[in-house]
Amino acid sequence: MNRSVVITGVGAVSAFGLGLGPIREGLLAGTPRLTEVERPEGYHRAGGARLAALVGAPDLGPWLPAGAGRRMSPPSRFAVAAARMALRPAGDEGERAGTETAVFLSTAFGPASFSEKLYRSILTDGPETASPFLFTECVANAPAAQVAIACGAGGPSVTIVQREAGSLIALGRGASEVTSGRTSRALVGVVDELPPMAHALLDRYGALARATPESAEVARPFDRRRNGFTASEGATVLLLEDEDSARARATRPLARIRAFGGAFDASASRVGWGTGVATLRQGLLRLLDRAGLGPRDLGLVVSGASGSVAGDRLEALVLRALFADLPLPRILAPKAVTGEYGGGFLASVVLAAERHPFGPTPGFAEPDPELGIVPHGGGALPRGGLLLAGSLAAGGSAFWVVLETL
Amino acid sequence: MPHEARPRRIAVTGLGAVSAAGWGVAALWPALREGRTALGPFSRIDHTRHRTHVAGQVPDAPFSARLPRHLARLSFSERFALFAAREAVADAGLAGPLEDGPVGVFFGTSTGGLLESEWYLDRFWQGNGGRAALNLMAGHQLNAPGDAVARHLRVTGPVETISSACASAALAIAAALRALQEGEVELAIAGGSDCLCATTYAGFNSLRSVDESPCRPFGQDRGGLSLGEGAGVLVLEPLERARTRGARVRAQLLGAGASCDANHMTAPLESGQGAAAAIAGALADASTGPEQVGYVNAHGTGTPLNDAAEWAALVTAFGDRAPRVPVSATKSIVGHLLGSSGAIEAVATVLCLEAGEAHPTAGDGPVDSRLKVDLVRGEPRRLSGDPAALSTSLGFGGANAALVFARGPGEAA
Amino acid sequence: MTEHDAIRSTIKKLIVTSLNLEGVSADSIGDDQALFGQGLGLDSVDALELVVAMEKEFRISIQSDEIDREVFGSVSHLATFVETLRTRQSPTPHAP
Repeated sequence: MNRSVVITGVGAVSAFGLGLGPIREGLLAGTPRLTEVERPEGYHRAGGARLAALVGAPDLGPWLPAGAGRRMSPPSRFAVAAARMALRPAGDEGERAGTETAVFLSTAFGPASFSEKLYRSILTDGPETASPFLFTECVANAPAAQVAIACGAGGPSVTIVQREAGSLIALGRGASEVTSGRTSRALVGVVDELPPMAHALLDRYGALARATPESAEVARPFDRRRNGFTASEGATVLLLEDEDSARARATRPLARIRAFGGAFDASASRVGWGTGVATLRQGLLRLLDRAGLGPRDLGLVVSGASGSVAGDRLEALVLRALFADLPLPRILAPKAVTGEYGGGFLASVVLAAERHPFGPTPGFAEPDPELGIVPHGGGALPRGGLLLAGSLAAGGSAFWVVLETL
Repeated sequence: MPHEARPRRIAVTGLGAVSAAGWGVAALWPALREGRTALGPFSRIDHTRHRTHVAGQVPDAPFSARLPRHLARLSFSERFALFAAREAVADAGLAGPLEDGPVGVFFGTSTGGLLESEWYLDRFWQGNGGRAALNLMAGHQLNAPGDAVARHLRVTGPVETISSACASAALAIAAALRALQEGEVELAIAGGSDCLCATTYAGFNSLRSVDESPCRPFGQDRGGLSLGEGAGVLVLEPLERARTRGARVRAQLLGAGASCDANHMTAPLESGQGAAAAIAGALADASTGPEQVGYVNAHGTGTPLNDAAEWAALVTAFGDRAPRVPVSATKSIVGHLLGSSGAIEAVATVLCLEAGEAHPTAGDGPVDSRLKVDLVRGEPRRLSGDPAALSTSLGFGGANAALVFARGPGEAA
Repeated sequence: MTEHDAIRSTIKKLIVTSLNLEGVSADSIGDDQALFGQGLGLDSVDALELVVAMEKEFRISIQSDEIDREVFGSVSHLATFVETLRTRQSPTPHAP
């Protein structure tokens, strides 16, 4: 059973606002939406990162009626709102997904603020004061469970926890449920929350972009001066359907999923990126080959490059090795605008698959000679070929998805 | 995507386990076979101020289990995972790194390195969060145990960790099954790892879900679950590949099913219909009729709600036959390993099928008279014929998963 | 205000604050109003959250088998229950 699977709905909660529209505008303008992260006493180091793409406290309005989220953690709220948005075009069913709809959500750090509060209360007030509310909502699959309850989705409930590669894994594995015929629909996506402590810890690992005497705090994918990524929070959820059902409902699919697959670079440290270019290239070629595709078929790349020193290097070298003697296609680096985590990347992938115009890549000005990649400088995207989206996770896991513009 | 006429048959060729019963399958099987609980007092965390003082803690590693020095700084969860994975890979007759050919790692966990993170955060909040201690947080992320296995085995294929509460490892095994059936990988290391920690112990106690005694699944007076820790790992590969290389086929993984109750964050649907859907899906996936199932390795946590709902699901699945299908509750012996429970229980299921006997559930109190479950107690129960076995994992947040196993073809018990 | 009145009033405030019932004022909760199912619509996890809050506030220890639909049926029942425990129990060892 190998049905064709398409994206038919998208929902998003991000620093840009609600829905895909604000993210599209942000990408077109090439302007991130960053705010100063709160700095509770003792969390952050002096001279470290100060900014992040934060959701704030938006009115989730029709997507999460007042009271409905009273026991939800922030990621659950984001995810439920995004899932409902994604289901909106699904016709008479409205926000009810159907009993066989699968939910594949990914999260890098889970409901971090509730986990922090819970553990802190255990330490300060004693373990016997642990809050059942906090506990039930601090498990990584709480957002997926809340989405299933809110949307009546009774199919498999899978929460992927593979950091930066997670959103594409959720997309690919969710697509697999549909292509196999095990289900006709899947809600897939990613949700992350970035409380001050998570930001502070990422900074202690040296992962985040920070200001230097020569430069403001900016994420610079592929740039010679890059010194880390910008973290963000939010949720993006897509509705996947088998193409025949979607067309029968006269729903316009946004893009078709053609291939996906993963690989692993064992040279990576637990929290970093390695140097396994050949291994990752081989994994990429393999997933393309299994779909009857090759590098020649790719006309556009949405790269997971984020401004990470080692991560971007690996990403660039893998892409160069993949295309070898072929000219490099257009390469987008949307994390320059959306930041890392929280669904901005996944939203960018959908927008790129629809070939919306993207603005210049902010933060990029000086190519890194070792990498030899110059990301998109702004304007319309080329029309031909398939889209390759890829994201390399710290720790070594990598995943790619190939999409077809319709 | 390439078209497969019929899904390839998938074999289990290696097993690895770490649990309160000890390090290794050789420590687990006797405890299962004897129905001897390994639950009791524990010291992994300070539980003085809790109402309960029972868990399934993994004993200190024997010398043979000690990892090379550079791996000894990893979190407990990572170390359990590495031990179980090394055991499973050796058991499968595979030597050295698995760099050749596409090999994937599919793992499940609820806790990852949460225990060590708790130690770090304790110091962090006391103002001592220095750089040296940051290593404690490196294993915090839930993908750490699975990644550690992948890194150690030098795999090059997909590596993914799932954290869907108690269904995690079963879902990971299902993901491995799909990847194998679709030809994405030629070999898969699937399993899970978890460690006892203050957060989960406090959390489940706050829900009043923890029994003061070692848990009594399906028991008349059952009072909740007992937490456990450890790891379970299976090596999975196409049956043909196993035969070609002369590997011992310990069992076949026939199919998997999953569903979500989509009803409540902690309480299962009383009707058991969510779990029943996962079971039905697994049987259909396995092309196995319910009448072919001769053994159930239940989720059986010992909470009043789970066991009742699970029994209702078994009745839906097996109809009038339900009271005659032998059931084991492995958690009575090793406790509830949360995310990795599905893995340790898959190992237990394979061991039972291989031996041709259902292991007894620990404890001798009366079985709940409202549940007509045939709970195996006291002695192992001979399994008649060549039955399929069902392993269920019914999680928090309503995530359900079910796996169907059978003996290797042509293998006699 | 009797002690029983004070306890009832405190319990109502705890319900609103510990259960995140925004938009519900403590005063609007009836003494005999059903808390679960139809009444205020609380569920088992809410009950357990309220238990933690009450244990801390009143310095009592509530056993698992005392958490039932009857005791938690209404604010009045809860207040009576708390009074009984306070009389019966000496300060709990883990109270701050």
